[in-house]
Amino acid sequence: MTPIDESLISGRERLDEEMAALEGSIGYDETAYALPVTYAVTGMAVHDAGSAREAYAASGSSVLVAGECLAAAGYAAGGEEGEPYTGFVPDTVLRRLGYSLVDGSIAGIGLVAGSPDDADAAAAICREMQEKYLLTFLAGGVIQTLTEAGVKVGLEYRLVPLGSTGMAAIHFADIIARVAMMFGGVQPGDADRLLNYAAERAKAFVIAFPGLEDEEIAVIDGLRVLSIPILTPEGYEGGEWIRVPYLDAVREGMERRGIRVNVVAIPIPMACSPAFEGKSIRKEEMYVEFGGAKAPAFELLRVRPADEVEDGRVEVIGPEVGDLEEGSAVPLAILVDVAGASMKKDYEPVLERRIHTFLNYGEGSWHVAQRDLVWVRLTKDVVRRGVAIADLGRLLASKFRMEFPDLIDAVQVTLVTDRERVEAMLEEARAIYDERDERIAGMKDEDVGTYYSCTLCQTFAPNHVCIITPERPALCGAITWLDAKIAYEIAPAGANQPVEKGELIDPVLGQFEGVNRFVKKASHGAVDRVSLYGMMDEPMTCCGCFECIATILPEVNGIMIVNRDYLGDTPLGMTFSTLAGTIGGGAQTPGFVGISKGYILSDRFLQAENGIERVVWMPSLLKDELKGRLEEKLERMSIPELFDKIADETVAVSIEDLAEFLARVDHPALAMRPLI
Amino acid sequence: MAMKALDIYKLLPKTNCKKCGFPTCLAFAMKLASGKVDVDLCPDLDEQTRELLGGATRPPIRLVGIGAGERSFAVGEEFVLYRHERTFYHQPGLMMQVADTWPGERIERIMTRVRDETFHRVGEDLSVDGIAFRCESGDADQFGGVVGMVEACASLPEVVIADDPEAQAAALAHCGNFQPLIHAACADTVEAMCDLARKYGCALAVRAGDLEELKRLVGLCRDRGIENLMLDPAPATLRDFLVRSVEIRRRAVERTDPDLGYPVVFDTVPIDLPDAATALGILKYAGVIIIDELAPSSTMAALTLRQNIYTDPQKPIQVTPGLYPVNAPTGSAPVLMTVNFSLTYFTLLGYLEAAGIPCYLFIVDTEGMSVLTAVAGGKLTETVVADAIKKTDLENRVDHRILIIPGYAAPLSGKIEEETGWEVRVGPRDAAEIGEYLETGWEA
Amino acid sequence: MSEEHNPEQGNRILEVSLGATTAEGGTRERVYTVGGAGTFPFLGAGPAAGHPPRIALEICDDTRTWSPIVLREVGDLAGDTGAWAAAAETTFGADMVRLFFTSTRQRGFDDFASLGTTMEEVIGATKYPLIVEGSTEPGIDSEVYRRIGEAAEGERILLGTAEADRYRSVAASALAYGHALVAQTPIDINLAKQLNILLHETGLPPERIVIDPYTGTLGYGFEYSYSVMERIRSVALQGDADLARPMISSAIDSLNVKEVREADPETADEVAIRWEFYAAFSALVAGAEIVCVRHPGTVALLREALPALQEGSHPQEEAYGDESA
Repeated sequence: MTPIDESLISGRERLDEEMAALEGSIGYDETAYALPVTYAVTGMAVHDAGSAREAYAASGSSVLVAGECLAAAGYAAGGEEGEPYTGFVPDTVLRRLGYSLVDGSIAGIGLVAGSPDDADAAAAICREMQEKYLLTFLAGGVIQTLTEAGVKVGLEYRLVPLGSTGMAAIHFADIIARVAMMFGGVQPGDADRLLNYAAERAKAFVIAFPGLEDEEIAVIDGLRVLSIPILTPEGYEGGEWIRVPYLDAVREGMERRGIRVNVVAIPIPMACSPAFEGKSIRKEEMYVEFGGAKAPAFELLRVRPADEVEDGRVEVIGPEVGDLEEGSAVPLAILVDVAGASMKKDYEPVLERRIHTFLNYGEGSWHVAQRDLVWVRLTKDVVRRGVAIADLGRLLASKFRMEFPDLIDAVQVTLVTDRERVEAMLEEARAIYDERDERIAGMKDEDVGTYYSCTLCQTFAPNHVCIITPERPALCGAITWLDAKIAYEIAPAGANQPVEKGELIDPVLGQFEGVNRFVKKASHGAVDRVSLYGMMDEPMTCCGCFECIATILPEVNGIMIVNRDYLGDTPLGMTFSTLAGTIGGGAQTPGFVGISKGYILSDRFLQAENGIERVVWMPSLLKDELKGRLEEKLERMSIPELFDKIADETVAVSIEDLAEFLARVDHPALAMRPLI
Repeated sequence: MAMKALDIYKLLPKTNCKKCGFPTCLAFAMKLASGKVDVDLCPDLDEQTRELLGGATRPPIRLVGIGAGERSFAVGEEFVLYRHERTFYHQPGLMMQVADTWPGERIERIMTRVRDETFHRVGEDLSVDGIAFRCESGDADQFGGVVGMVEACASLPEVVIADDPEAQAAALAHCGNFQPLIHAACADTVEAMCDLARKYGCALAVRAGDLEELKRLVGLCRDRGIENLMLDPAPATLRDFLVRSVEIRRRAVERTDPDLGYPVVFDTVPIDLPDAATALGILKYAGVIIIDELAPSSTMAALTLRQNIYTDPQKPIQVTPGLYPVNAPTGSAPVLMTVNFSLTYFTLLGYLEAAGIPCYLFIVDTEGMSVLTAVAGGKLTETVVADAIKKTDLENRVDHRILIIPGYAAPLSGKIEEETGWEVRVGPRDAAEIGEYLETGWEA
Repeated sequence: MSEEHNPEQGNRILEVSLGATTAEGGTRERVYTVGGAGTFPFLGAGPAAGHPPRIALEICDDTRTWSPIVLREVGDLAGDTGAWAAAAETTFGADMVRLFFTSTRQRGFDDFASLGTTMEEVIGATKYPLIVEGSTEPGIDSEVYRRIGEAAEGERILLGTAEADRYRSVAASALAYGHALVAQTPIDINLAKQLNILLHETGLPPERIVIDPYTGTLGYGFEYSYSVMERIRSVALQGDADLARPMISSAIDSLNVKEVREADPETADEVAIRWEFYAAFSALVAGAEIVCVRHPGTVALLREALPALQEGSHPQEEAYGDESA
């Protein structure tokens, strides 16, 4: 075991000595960046021993500067190594490399240094790096070890042999320095920006094998300043180097630098595309089915700690498709475990809904309903072509990784077809569903500090901004607060942006300083303020997609709600579509507001105008649809009689009839403070 | 400043008397707020309120009619500077000029073209709107004669361009009863021109290169009881027109300068860049554009531009649902279903025509929504498709039962198959890929 | 008459420079800066007028899908990309050439070496800044944009076209070889913003991005193209920095529309020119800083019209006085 801390001290001393002893001219050919690391850190273009020492001093005795000056002095002295070693990589090659990094055809870069004892371990690491689209640089004995083991090296194999000693590791640093200057706009001499750039963008890590000399250790350790983690499977102790079993080294390095590989192909013998989404599988075409009331079945997606999820693992517990007779109905549990640094438990239900979509992407797989109501079928056709139950798991694992690359780091899928186990797990799953429902139902606006915006409709309503809160879904009814939150996490540049509430301006109107600021900007200055809980003063703008319109009826001092599906006349004297045409397009129209059906049931529903108690009319269609939940709400508010006091088109279409009806039933709105 | 419906409502009688034709005062207030009705419909307002509401709700630019009969048109009543803010309502009239010094056959040729030439696009017949007579001879009788000659053969909207009131009078003697536009009054002639406008009850253009002078002329005309006015900012270059027309429109719609609340006339002839000037007039708020004799290639492009610019951006242009043969298909040709959103239709049609593959474009009614929104909004459903198949008699038009649907409608494929009994194939999401899809993927 | 109204004094469209002279590492004789305006097009005077718009003539390296009307007009030039490019600048009077590598759009394209050769040929044949369009197929993008970018290294070409779902290769090429790029986002201004943010994340500086909001040509959805340009300019002037970028507009399908394709051969050129002209001219009025057309006759017509619109809008010219106030 080499003790890092001690090696660093002696390595530094050696570098100091060599720098002091340096003589003659120094420099690389084929670069416009002099000695790139030195140039980037100090802004000085070193050309001889004197300027090298000056730069070394200016850098605060950086080991990387020392390592670079010494390496470049070797070149100038004609000490360049020949085949197979590349040595210093010229700018033209580097430009292509940088291109591939931005382009995404290289996911990241790694340096493997030292002299591994175990050739197979080194080969396995390099193979894994190749498979993960990493470009690997090699420095030291590892190159010989690999070539002797029959591994081909060279740029075309994405294994670049820099040099025969660990000192060649300095070229890894000069590559990063040049990429920063070429691509990142880092100016020579701006060391802070270089370090920031490296911290934010350098997708690089080092794997160190044993056998490095002290000065080599010092130079490699110096890479840490560029936010490059140094992982070591064997041979070193102490210092800031991270010890990992060699099998985990690549994964660990990638995770630490956030390097992700985009999954592109799904390894199953069945086509998989959105084009198959809507197809159905008839009984005659079906080989086997799961659930659908014929056997117990459910699906459950859970967020788990990273160490409990093995990415890509698919397991089938119970009979596989080959053990099943054609036409049989079988129990099924679809258990999807996901892990990711930014995953949250709240995302579970939203991600779980995607199981439906993904399974329907399969050419011969079909899925309906959700949770413990699921029903899945596989066709004879694809079973004949070799599709097994496990392939559904592979499909899910791949699609989740493909669709949520930034959110999900690992997915494993377990498919249980064993009846007893499915039945046993079903209870547990139901408990989880209930718990989720309660959590969402109970979520209040004051529980969160951030609301979300939706500007999808700006295509046709240029200044419209929807503000989505836990208690006020988007006015189209299609996007809840949680949906918007996740949409933002998945696509941070998308149409749903976080809106910091900021200071509360008016608790009744629901005006927040942060919301107003956001709306002003997102509406391009057209709207200064919005009330989230009211319709008379500065109500939210309307795009045109609203599920319902709430309008005042001044004659009866009440509010009328009309939904899109109701085609008839209203007591206001306008149909839904005429009204929609008048208030849509992104304008703020006091007295009129577009809302979702869900918002009607919220405690925040137009609270500035006394909320649900002010509602005097809605179409019977809407009333029926909300009946159960609305009655429950009114019950809770101890005004169950209100439900029947809300008129519909069967009792009043004209304002006169409505007034008469409301007087007859003694609707509370009549006695409220006047709206106007 | 424009007023919101609720503020207007507060000033109305709140009697729901229905005399205005609306069931409630609030409904009337909503209509007033959007500038779609006139405040005078309410008989129970005092003078002060009427004036206040009129000023706030009447269209900031006056509606001016030109011509009589079926080709007549009106311009003005616009509300915005940019069409994305709402829409442009009244497209400009293109008036092709003839000069009284031209040979008779040339005049006749132009008159015939304006009368008869039409282009058919997206369910609309597009044509140049009328004739502009220009007095170049300086001779009132000669001018009157030319007007009379044309008047005898065509009933077209007209502009009478003459600075001399006598020449105007001679022309109006022939056409004055058919609502021509008198062009144009300037400082010296305003009085005489007003008299003519009053006599024939037709619209009058005032002309000045300076906004203040224009406003002064407007004031003089109004003092003489002439309200049907148009403004000619007398541009010498394209930029003159752009700057002045934008300024006039801006002040008008902001209601800061009611004297500029009239439609603009753009005489493009002196500028000598006929295509550029015509396009600019269409884009930048002209109500009447006087053009020289443009070739059909130019008028077709100009009229198409006008049709595009005057499309309501909040109401996508809809294509009439139905079965459209593309590239002369036979009964075995593929049937491609899509929605009646015009952009979808045009894009797809363009690619299909370019690919040269015979097929049927099968347009179903989704109220003009795109595929994605129609699927999400429930406007494209299996029943909509089944109904359309019946309506178009599709079963008897082709000898197969295969329907290709857009990639984004894939979620409906199974339901459509069930409902219609047709075999559904899912095509590409992007129209650009349709050619390749039909070449490689369609064969049954 | 008073000068135009500009309530948002101060917000300007970002300036983007195209082309590099020998001193700057390229070989161009001219460098164009586009953008810079602080008002709606052609309304400003002095610095607020911004830089003059530019007219590009589009050519291609594989004429199989090119309009027969244009091919007839340019004759033998169509077979010689370099000569065609040279003629665009000299004979046809375009400010710049926009070269489409249409060869990459043929199925199974794999002659990547030809891209570098053609690129070098066109660079050698021209003196003004260039716009170059590569592949539209994600499978070959990486190779195509590397070849083009490398061959044009240092010339600061305007490279197209990045879209939300395939921008990496274009961005990588712009970054690696010092070019600017075209970012295309149809219809929706929020999508335009989104792509800008994605491009920003690759490290591409904003002053190297030109946006292309084009959706459809005259008669075929042009109203969307027109209004989205007006909207972008309008929010840019209100201070939305993400959209304060120069715009490029090319009604690329103008010559494929029915009206042009089916025109009488006698008047086909006139119809083609008018169809292109009305769309390109309107794009200029809506805010496009670069308009692209394919028929040489359209360039001539635009050349003639532009000076009448932009009096005083060239900052190098004497500042245009308040015209009548």
